[in-house]
Amino acid sequence: MVGHGAPRQEPDAGNSATPNRRGPGQLEAEILAALWAAGEPVTAAVVQREVGPDLAYTTVVTILSRLRDKGVLARVRTGRAYAYVPIADEPGLAARRMRRVLDSEADRRTVLARFVSDLSSADELLLRAVLDESVPPEGPSPSEGRGRGGQD
Amino acid sequence: MHFAVYVPLLAPLLLLPCLRLLAPQLHPRFASWLLMITMVALGLGSTASLAILTAAGLVKLPVAQLTGRWSAELLAQYDAVGLPVGVGAAAGLAGSVVACGYTLARWARALNRARRELGEVAGDAAFTVVPDDTPYAYTLPGSRGKIVVSSGMLRALTTAERRALLAHERAHLESRHDLIHCLAMLAVRLNPLLVPLRATLSYTIERWADESAVRDTGDRPAAARAIGKAALAARAGSRPPVGSLAAAAGPVPRRVQALLRPAPVLGLRGLLRSFVGVICAGTIVMVVGSGLATVEAASDLNRALETSEVAG
Repeated sequence: MVGHGAPRQEPDAGNSATPNRRGPGQLEAEILAALWAAGEPVTAAVVQREVGPDLAYTTVVTILSRLRDKGVLARVRTGRAYAYVPIADEPGLAARRMRRVLDSEADRRTVLARFVSDLSSADELLLRAVLDESVPPEGPSPSEGRGRGGQD
Repeated sequence: MHFAVYVPLLAPLLLLPCLRLLAPQLHPRFASWLLMITMVALGLGSTASLAILTAAGLVKLPVAQLTGRWSAELLAQYDAVGLPVGVGAAAGLAGSVVACGYTLARWARALNRARRELGEVAGDAAFTVVPDDTPYAYTLPGSRGKIVVSSGMLRALTTAERRALLAHERAHLESRHDLIHCLAMLAVRLNPLLVPLRATLSYTIERWADESAVRDTGDRPAAARAIGKAALAARAGSRPPVGSLAAAAGPVPRRVQALLRPAPVLGLRGLLRSFVGVICAGTIVMVVGSGLATVEAASDLNRALETSEVAG
């Protein structure tokens, strides 16, 4: 399945609108991100269901082909359908090196804008409390915060 | 020396508490602009003040009078600053300008280095995934900025949360937050009393990107969860937290809390009608006032020089 617990998360997005019209660049990014999150080859139909029920199937296939032309994903045959899998290659490893290069500099903080800053212990306690309060009573989602991360 | 010349140098002491009170009440975009403009204005005002103090101090030097242009007795009547103050101001001025140049050069160098390495990776792609189990995500700024996310981060989030993450990073690039950070960095070099405002500005910029992401995706809770999960995932593997909640909350919990509440609405219009607006107006008046004070001090010095000019 693409994404963790995606089927049980999506319904709670009853208060979330369909995302606004997304540009092609954004769609490519979302689809590529979904493939990486999947951890296994997925078909175009699955991608369409996860990333954009509002998208046409042909649109999804077109974008997948474009990404394949760019060399960031590969197509494999599973049974009668094609499935897509992202490619981990030399450029990706180069990015990992870059991060280590910058990590050693104080400049990292000024050059890169990180999505989240480091959490102190007190902040972690507070954050868990805040998130637990906000999670709806049903579903195992409260367990997501605990010691889970970067898993496989 | 007219007291006015010191106003821009010391204004941050008054403005700091006002702005920190004000910032959480405003929409983060407005707060960010207000903070940045204030910091730049005070930075430039401080530089002007130091320049005036330098000129006023050096004017007492015998050298200035040797040129025969100004009369020593008439100048003595001008309540100028003492020579030590003039020299101190000159040192401060030189130091801050050098610090600005050094900061800019270092920033540009780090940025180019990162771009060069990542350039091999991303090519033209604006979005790059790094095969790395450690969860992280960041943007590399610039007109052709890049978004870099690790596969570990992507795996930790749901579809809606990934969408919020990408929208947040995109907002940083589209609104050119890197330039705002750079200007703030330079302003701090020009007047170190502005240092605490940098942290306030960093926070409002992150909130700005969060609100932009919500506007694009239409999913406020997903954005809150994305931030929370990302932060906790990055800490996974460290020891379980101990201690109390006594300390003031850091930026990440505050961002999540803000997203779990309704969107902030206090833009320009609501502002003009509220108490917060009074503080805001007061702040702006103070900033403008210190600018005028600088101008006043400059013309004061100019007048003194003119009247001291030796005829013929």
